[in-house]
Amino acid sequence: MEDKSAAGDSLRDRVLDAMLFNVAFDGWGPAGVRAAVRDGAITAEEAALAFPGGALEMIEYHSRRADRRMVEELERRGIGSLKIRDRITLAIRVRLEQNTAHREAVRRALSILALPTNAPLAARLLYRTVDAIWYAAGDRSADFSFYTKRATLAGVYSSTVLYWLNDRSEGLSATWAFLDRRISDVMQFEKLKSRVRSFGERWRTRPAR
Amino acid sequence: MSTDSAAGPRSTNEGWQPGDPTPREFVEQAIRVDHAGEVGAVRIYEGQLAALRWRGKGNSPVARRIEHMLAQETAHKQVFDELIAERRVRPTALSPIWSVAGFALGAATALLGDAAAMACTVAVEETIDEHYAAQRDRLGDDEAVLRGTVERFRQDEVAHRDEALASGAEKAPAYDLVTAAIRGGSRLAIWLSTRV
Repeated sequence: MEDKSAAGDSLRDRVLDAMLFNVAFDGWGPAGVRAAVRDGAITAEEAALAFPGGALEMIEYHSRRADRRMVEELERRGIGSLKIRDRITLAIRVRLEQNTAHREAVRRALSILALPTNAPLAARLLYRTVDAIWYAAGDRSADFSFYTKRATLAGVYSSTVLYWLNDRSEGLSATWAFLDRRISDVMQFEKLKSRVRSFGERWRTRPAR
Repeated sequence: MSTDSAAGPRSTNEGWQPGDPTPREFVEQAIRVDHAGEVGAVRIYEGQLAALRWRGKGNSPVARRIEHMLAQETAHKQVFDELIAERRVRPTALSPIWSVAGFALGAATALLGDAAAMACTVAVEETIDEHYAAQRDRLGDDEAVLRGTVERFRQDEVAHRDEALASGAEKAPAYDLVTAAIRGGSRLAIWLSTRV
């Protein structure tokens, strides 16, 4: 993870920012690189040096940088003082708000990630994002709930992203309402689970010892 | 990093080659598999205690000995719980399986008799001893704290094995067969938990 040098990352940041300026029109591929070079922000050599793998590597770096920035922002806002539910909501909000200026770039990235050949990368990026959210939320589970938590959040997060892509409401209020509803759904299921569990406890006649 | 390995500080997973896990991956795998092992150990002893209670021997000296081992394994597991969270290691996805399999193994051996329960302890702890020793030798000075933890736990596991031997584990029926089977199963569990 932290094996890349800071110098390499600063070059990647520069190339990626130059790319993001044009991605909405020219895409993540060679046409986008040419447009960024034409703008004079970067040279073709720099682009090739920063991302030898081309579009996929740029998309991967973009997602990882967004995860990192989200965690930094959440720590700055003191996420630890909130309830778990609010921590998750805030994390998804911050992740999306930080990328609202580049919604078209995200849309183009998702259409590339939707190709069957890119499914492993798509899954990895989604896993990293939900893992970063749970990390920022202070999750310390070491049992199987580690996986159920991430799977549940992956559903909430990816559906919210799709809603966010087409949201034209003022201040993205429709997306935040959608997100609240999704989290309420999850909480209802959790409530049902604990009710089933306490119902089962009542029928356990034998003491634990 | 000095080239003559006898002198100078030793680094984790020294001498790795392309294709081997990187030092970070190695530490991740080590914490994951150790955590899984302690989860399994806790469940084995819980299973043994449950079976002893079914046999109406919940207060026998054997049960008390197992309770002591269980307390130590629980403490080990808590240390690795912390490490998983602190070092951001993904825990094994097979923990539900180890939980059921460990409990079943413990219960089955304890139902066969006190000596069989002790034979199970010998087999499991011996495998874990080998595993911890191999890990200790590969962890370098950059992971001195983790290495110390592993070594301390290994000594606890060896003590459990010796205690089980002293309680007549070898008098169990088909001792060689049972311990060989359990040892094979434990090795398979280690191999799987390192990866999944």
